[in-house]
Amino acid sequence: MNKRTVYPVWFVILPLVFYVVFFLMPSIMGIFYSFTDWNVRNRGDLSFVGFQNYIDIFTSEENYASGIYNTLKFTIVSNIVKLIPALFLAMLLQRGLRGKNVYRTILYLPAILPFLIIGLIFKSVLNYQDGILNVGLELVHLGFLKQKWLSDPEVVWKTIYMVDAWRGIGYVMTIFLAGLNAIPDSFYEASEIDGANFFHKFIHITLPMLSGTIMINLVFGITYGLKVFDIIYVLTNGGPGRTTEVLTTYVYKLYSSGQYGMAVALNTILFVITMAAGVLIVRGMSRKEVEL
Amino acid sequence: MIKSKLPKAFLLCVFTLSIFIVPSLFAAGTQEDSSGNPYAGKELSILVSAGWMDSRYDETIARFEETYNVSVDLQTVPADQYGDILQTRLLTGECADVFWIQSNPFAIESVIVDYEDFCIDFSGSAWESVVPEARLLSCKVGDSLYGLQLWHNSPEYVMVYNKSMFTEMGLEIPTTYAELKDVSAALYAQGITPWFIPGADGWQHQLAFFQIGGIYEANHPGLYEGLNNNTATFKDNQTMLKVLSQMKELSDLGYLGEDWIGSNSTNMANMFGDRKIAMAMANSSYIQQIKDETGTTDEFGLFLLPLADNSFFPTNPAGPTMFGFKGTENEDLVRLFFDFVCETESLQEILDNSPAYTNIHVNDDAVQQHWLAEEKAFVDSITPDQMVTPVLQTGTKYTNDYWMDFGADMMSYFIGRIDANDVLGRMDANRAKSAKIAQDPAW
Repeated sequence: MNKRTVYPVWFVILPLVFYVVFFLMPSIMGIFYSFTDWNVRNRGDLSFVGFQNYIDIFTSEENYASGIYNTLKFTIVSNIVKLIPALFLAMLLQRGLRGKNVYRTILYLPAILPFLIIGLIFKSVLNYQDGILNVGLELVHLGFLKQKWLSDPEVVWKTIYMVDAWRGIGYVMTIFLAGLNAIPDSFYEASEIDGANFFHKFIHITLPMLSGTIMINLVFGITYGLKVFDIIYVLTNGGPGRTTEVLTTYVYKLYSSGQYGMAVALNTILFVITMAAGVLIVRGMSRKEVEL
Repeated sequence: MIKSKLPKAFLLCVFTLSIFIVPSLFAAGTQEDSSGNPYAGKELSILVSAGWMDSRYDETIARFEETYNVSVDLQTVPADQYGDILQTRLLTGECADVFWIQSNPFAIESVIVDYEDFCIDFSGSAWESVVPEARLLSCKVGDSLYGLQLWHNSPEYVMVYNKSMFTEMGLEIPTTYAELKDVSAALYAQGITPWFIPGADGWQHQLAFFQIGGIYEANHPGLYEGLNNNTATFKDNQTMLKVLSQMKELSDLGYLGEDWIGSNSTNMANMFGDRKIAMAMANSSYIQQIKDETGTTDEFGLFLLPLADNSFFPTNPAGPTMFGFKGTENEDLVRLFFDFVCETESLQEILDNSPAYTNIHVNDDAVQQHWLAEEKAFVDSITPDQMVTPVLQTGTKYTNDYWMDFGADMMSYFIGRIDANDVLGRMDANRAKSAKIAQDPAW
């Protein structure tokens, strides 16, 4: 018979107090402030302005709406460019590949570097005139592939995705590896006896058995994508022009220019989007669990 | 066994702690007393944007550290991030002991805003007499003195050009936009970047628009007053629209550099020295820097930026200015530092360690200035009428506060994302926001 230990309810009081004081209350106060004209001048004397900050966000000449669009775009694309290669790399490195542990380490290493360092390194590497990438392309007679990596509006997003993937693939791959290791070999062996090829095994065994892992990576990826700031701030600071501005860079700029009410309103929009994404993911996961 | 080891472990801990703690207590207790120096061991932090101090203050700071047995923590932030970081740190009360802003007669109220909360009041300090009257306008609000501005008085951000190259190619100094375009075409045909603008710096490309404030005022008399009274706008200003379109045309033709939007100014002096570029907006004293850094034997000269056929000098009695943070725990040390840098020896050091500047604008005849012949000749060629209008960014309220935003909008225009009038309209909208925050009755 299993012996169950029952802990008293008051054990949760301390974490609950921390949660309420340091998360719930600031969040609710933030939403309240988004309906005021709070700025650097009137810190102690706020006026209620209704939805004016939200109206300004969608009608302002500043085009904050493009920041919302860019945030969503980054969230979707950055996940695609990380998840798919990471899955195939994980499958490759899970097999009996020689030196696979070395490859795993190498692929994971960028994930431990701070974005600030990565941004500064890549800013140098991607310099059009004398960056290593363009100079290297010239050296191997591939000069036609040279790009204005960080200053051409048609290229700059691709560059950001590339740098982001370079850093993030190893991390995603590690989670996939854990998921792959949990799939019993007997499933594959049985399917091989039935004549299944690689494609069949991938579709009918690997993917379904990895659905939980994929969902975990999606949750991490989506929350990361919606909150993205540092990589963009360091690499482009929202430029060229406003091409790569995202919600968080706008929030930061509004806050630092003393427009707190607007900054909080924009942050509230980000909060709503993140919450909506969270609800959708949780529902998706619950449904999947029921199916399984 | 374990029991017998415990006293040893305990003794080892006590011994180790005593090694580290006792001497430090002893030192802390005696350092001040033995020297009689109340500042000993203190740290002064300075928050500054790249380019405002560089290495010019290094020698003075080292002497300050040595004289008072203190340390100085210099926190230099990239220019395009400085404004955001400064505001954040001021508002959170986490600012450095000394901070800098790009000041002008309106900046203390519009950039720092709560200057009474954030700035140490230096009124009555002896160093006030060192700062020229014209510069004190950027350092004071009413009668209260907050900032210290030690800056040069050379022509700022005019066109520096390679005179030798022009002579060899038979080119004349352009005085109109048409002539600038022709000269640029000739240089471009030789594989030379005619007018290099380091767009990636984030703050340089705006200079071409704002430094020619005189032509805006001349073409639209009363514009400055109108902008300050909210009876005029940037939007629909035909001269401003013309300047933006001319810059875009030069950009599209490749005359500003192949990737000027992604290039910074780090290598600009070398590019001048290597004859890869022929013109750039810079301070007159930059000529000396090019010669010193590259060893070139080429001659360089100066001329007024001829966008919109401008013929006005960029008069600008403003510049980077340092302030003491009121929330500091080291106010006495901050005051001491301000006194220290205004001593003749420090002023001379700062000037002598400024390869980019030939003079320092201070009321101290003992300081030996290093004016260049080229800049003297250039300034002598300017008539008083050409110098009467200040540059747009410091002659009008709330404009300089949006320098970086305007720069980003200019870039959006250059890459074809918005129209020129949108750039101007956004400046109006931003200025209105600042005016509203400042509760300016004109808005």
